[in-house]
Amino acid sequence: MTIRFLLPLAYAAALAAQHSDTALKNPFQSPDDRARGGAFYRSQCASCHGIDGKGGASGPNLSTGNFRHASNDEGVFRVITKGVAGTAMPGFSMNGREIWQIVSFIRGLSASRAVNVTGDATAGRQLFTANGCINCHWLNGAGAARGLDLSAIATRLTPAEMHTALTDPSAEVAPEYWTWRATSKDGKTLRGQRFNEDTFSLQILDSAGLLRSVIKADLREQSLDHRSPMPSFRDKLNEQQLKNLVAYLATLQGAAK
Amino acid sequence: MRSALFLLAAALSAQDANWTTYHGNYSSTHHSALTQITPANAKNLELKWTFQAQSLEKFEATPLVVDGVMYLTEAPNTVVALDAATGREFWIYEHKNPEVTYPCCGKINRGLAIRENTLYMGTLDGKLIAIDAITGQLRWEKVVVDFKDGYALTHAPLIIKDKVLMGTAGGELGIRGFLAAFDAKTGKEIWKFKTIPEPGEPGHETWHNDAWKHGGGPIWLTGSYDPALNLTYWGVGNAGPDWNAKVRPGDNLYTSSVIALDADTGKLKWHFQFTPHDEWDWDSVQTPVLVDRVWRGRPRKLLLWANRNGYFYLIDRATGEFLQGTPFVKLDWATGLDDKGRPVRVPGKVPTPQGTVIYPGVQGGTNWFAPSYSPKTDLFYLNVWDDYSGTYFAWDQEYERGKWFAGGGIKADVQSVRRDRLARRDPKSGYGAVRALNPSTGAKVWEYKMTDVSEGGIVTTAANVLFSGNREGNFFALDATNGNLLWNMYLGGQTAASPMTYLVNGKQRVTIAVGHTLYTFGLRE
Repeated sequence: MTIRFLLPLAYAAALAAQHSDTALKNPFQSPDDRARGGAFYRSQCASCHGIDGKGGASGPNLSTGNFRHASNDEGVFRVITKGVAGTAMPGFSMNGREIWQIVSFIRGLSASRAVNVTGDATAGRQLFTANGCINCHWLNGAGAARGLDLSAIATRLTPAEMHTALTDPSAEVAPEYWTWRATSKDGKTLRGQRFNEDTFSLQILDSAGLLRSVIKADLREQSLDHRSPMPSFRDKLNEQQLKNLVAYLATLQGAAK
Repeated sequence: MRSALFLLAAALSAQDANWTTYHGNYSSTHHSALTQITPANAKNLELKWTFQAQSLEKFEATPLVVDGVMYLTEAPNTVVALDAATGREFWIYEHKNPEVTYPCCGKINRGLAIRENTLYMGTLDGKLIAIDAITGQLRWEKVVVDFKDGYALTHAPLIIKDKVLMGTAGGELGIRGFLAAFDAKTGKEIWKFKTIPEPGEPGHETWHNDAWKHGGGPIWLTGSYDPALNLTYWGVGNAGPDWNAKVRPGDNLYTSSVIALDADTGKLKWHFQFTPHDEWDWDSVQTPVLVDRVWRGRPRKLLLWANRNGYFYLIDRATGEFLQGTPFVKLDWATGLDDKGRPVRVPGKVPTPQGTVIYPGVQGGTNWFAPSYSPKTDLFYLNVWDDYSGTYFAWDQEYERGKWFAGGGIKADVQSVRRDRLARRDPKSGYGAVRALNPSTGAKVWEYKMTDVSEGGIVTTAANVLFSGNREGNFFALDATNGNLLWNMYLGGQTAASPMTYLVNGKQRVTIAVGHTLYTFGLRE
């Protein structure tokens, strides 16, 4: 029963903090807290969110540092205690300390992404500009939407994954970046990026940069090209330049949370 | 309104005009005798009214309609009485649950039962409650189980004679499941059948250690009833822990089984275990469909069962004899069924610490959403999830009261419970289809293929119209004879409920919960 009494106290503190200018800080962030949080995570969270935190059949990826239903540690605490309406996420009956420890563990999943960056970020930024990355990618409110939004890329990819993305862009391409091609029944060739799909239609960004719906019944054939449209920089940049570019990308953390 | 119903009595019984149980009838065929909406005029369907739920929880309920009044549950445990002609509310009853309850997969409720003028509902905090259907006032409430042990009551109760039958969810929280019957007037418990037999009880020998103490066996979908045999049929859910099955050697009865109980006493008449020693979380919590028809030249009382494990079964429901089992989706965990219906398992197709890819994925070939059988077409209809897999993980886990106790997890491109906001996964990672099977052979007769999967149930009518909805947000009518699309309406939200149809003021209506809204359609006039 002691455990259950602690929960309302910790939650009440979190709620009170909502009304102040400063969000409640996690008081349990030591390595030991993180380790205990990891044990709780594996027992209570991993079935849905994956043992690695990268998501599962019933729960989203928690390893990026960006969360669908929370914008800070206090929000993560609230989601764990209250659950999320309309989803499989229940509220958990753990005490406040245990929940803060889980928050620490989850935060650690994304904090670990920024390690082992050895390049020069300033030089990397110059390479970013010189190579025209912004012609395809979106960054902090400007650019193009053909490629991945890089504004918070450091929360999504590790430096090693960024290096692979630069040298072998087609190694792992998420379905939303596959190139969609089709031929209509009247013989027109169509190409674009597939944003959404149901039985009857597709919503695409077409090759002219316009949003449009395509009715499947109007198509003769369609296909998805899993290769990335991004060129490889393996032969265009040397290893030090690649490290510098990765170092710059690793600074792109998105808006402060 | 009611006089109009009486005028129709010569052609249709009140049972045909109403929808008085979760499954529509005791045989759970999800088939209606109504014929106003036809393949020829379905294109003229239009929206008649909507009910906007205030709850943002998943809307899995199928309503009841009795003589012009609709009763439904708004998740988790609010009961609403509506005018079935207009959608206007008569009354609302709100059951207050504690802040923390223990549903595995969302704070949901699937519906109500009604007997005379009393409605019955199970609650997330382990209660069975009785509500006056006229006034919306509480008649009584009964604590069925201590919900803090991981129990939740989510399915619509089933009325048989003077009893209310109720089971309990909690297969991921280390419960021991049961089905119990309560006196409809007082709530007093009459009988109780434990789905995990205790020491000394038949079936306990299939548990070889103390794992039975938290062995699962939940019941979270309404069963069926055969009045002539006085047997009631219920599907039992997964064993616990779900995926780390090495800690519970044995077949683990009566998990992942169908049980046939004497409706008066709760005594087990027979059982059939679809998935002995279930290691995949394939609850046998599907709709037991009761059909009387000839099979191999002999009239049979059949039980048709499309199971989450990917096989479609024919069982003699009087004796429990296994008659036939045929795969209805891609599966790779078994090579077939032996002559007793026991799966012949493929070695290595089990959850592991590093993950094992297995077909079908964790939601199975189909699940709790209703199939239908039409005596007009003699076809069995269901929503399938086909050509999709899951990566199944297992790890050690100690039981703690009221805590998650699954012993593993699942990764999959096809999400189990909630659709992705934008549907752009690899189309090759799985698809959904409404499929019509020949009940005699299990062979596919036709299918209506969809891009995404569906948690929508099916209702068919005597006019050979089939209604269903899907995860994409489409609600549609098909020609039940050939699967041709007759009508489609994009409603935007995810369907995770079974549709129903009824008559009000002499007009046929069809109703479905989509997203957070209940939609009712009828023909343009």
